[in-house]
Amino acid sequence: MGREVSESCVESLLTEIVSSYCNGFYANKPELAVRRIEAIGFQVGHQLCERYTMDRPRFSDHLEAIKFICKDFWSELFKKQIDNLKTNHRGTFVLQDNKFRWLSRMSTDPSLPTPSSIQDPAAMAENKAAEAIGMHLYFPCGIIRGALSNLGIPCAISADISNLPACSFVVRIKA
Amino acid sequence: MQSQSRLPANPSRTGAKGFGSLIKWREKMIVCVAVVGHQNNPLYVQSFTDADDALKLHHIVHCSLDVVDERVNNPKKSGPTLNETFLGMLYPTENYKVYGYLTNTKVKFVLVTTDLDVRDADVRNFFRRFHAAYVDAVSNPFHVPGKKITSKTFAERVSNIVKSFGLSSAG
Repeated sequence: MGREVSESCVESLLTEIVSSYCNGFYANKPELAVRRIEAIGFQVGHQLCERYTMDRPRFSDHLEAIKFICKDFWSELFKKQIDNLKTNHRGTFVLQDNKFRWLSRMSTDPSLPTPSSIQDPAAMAENKAAEAIGMHLYFPCGIIRGALSNLGIPCAISADISNLPACSFVVRIKA
Repeated sequence: MQSQSRLPANPSRTGAKGFGSLIKWREKMIVCVAVVGHQNNPLYVQSFTDADDALKLHHIVHCSLDVVDERVNNPKKSGPTLNETFLGMLYPTENYKVYGYLTNTKVKFVLVTTDLDVRDADVRNFFRRFHAAYVDAVSNPFHVPGKKITSKTFAERVSNIVKSFGLSSAG
């Protein structure tokens, strides 16, 4: 029954989703574009979670569900696990992926320095690039949120990029 | 206490080898299956009887939801089967046995059967296949989460699963 999806197709689709929402449908309303992209991810995560949790016992607590996301869910999606999971034990989890698959083929100008100050124009350009990359992370954020909310854990997800193929997702569980 | 209620049924089974076997065959059937959402909203209720007792079966399914909640909130009762999706028999009525299953996503499946000495493995197998059918149904991009399942394909698959209930291992 296991039907597979071409990885390059998914990557192209993601790029196309982002570009059509950001430059086409909602060119001058970036917040709306973000919400739509996140919503698509939410539905995908919601449905995938249903499938991937089929043959396992129920989770007893939040940590177990997050661990499931880090290990099995991530492996199904990206063929690797989350590299680092941190938590403050008060409902915030940081999931770090050192080589996030959907960012692994993205590039920015390497001559530009990392954004230390926003004053100089080079850093501004870098910021623009970071923003564009950030748009591509709303989809995986939505996937995580969809999966967790289907497991009965309402949460808010944000993502940040440190240096390119690495990125981290911050999960804040709503009490 | 469940095994006690099963014990007297077993001799009758062996005794039914002769003319009774045909009757036994018809008796071994599922009368109702239901999918109930995480807010206890019915997503799919289907009865498989000719008689007009949908309301009664609906009522039985409704009653079983409390038992599911009880099982989940007092896990020490279930002992070693902690957090298993299959909840076992929820409660027997005079005519039916009600089995439950709770997915990770807090969706409940309820099975009502008239079979009095149904095998655990059969029920597990049924729920596993039913779960697969359910997952495929809700993965349909046109399915709205939390709304009733109206898919004809799902209904068809469910009726096939119901028909083959107990056949594979009994035959």
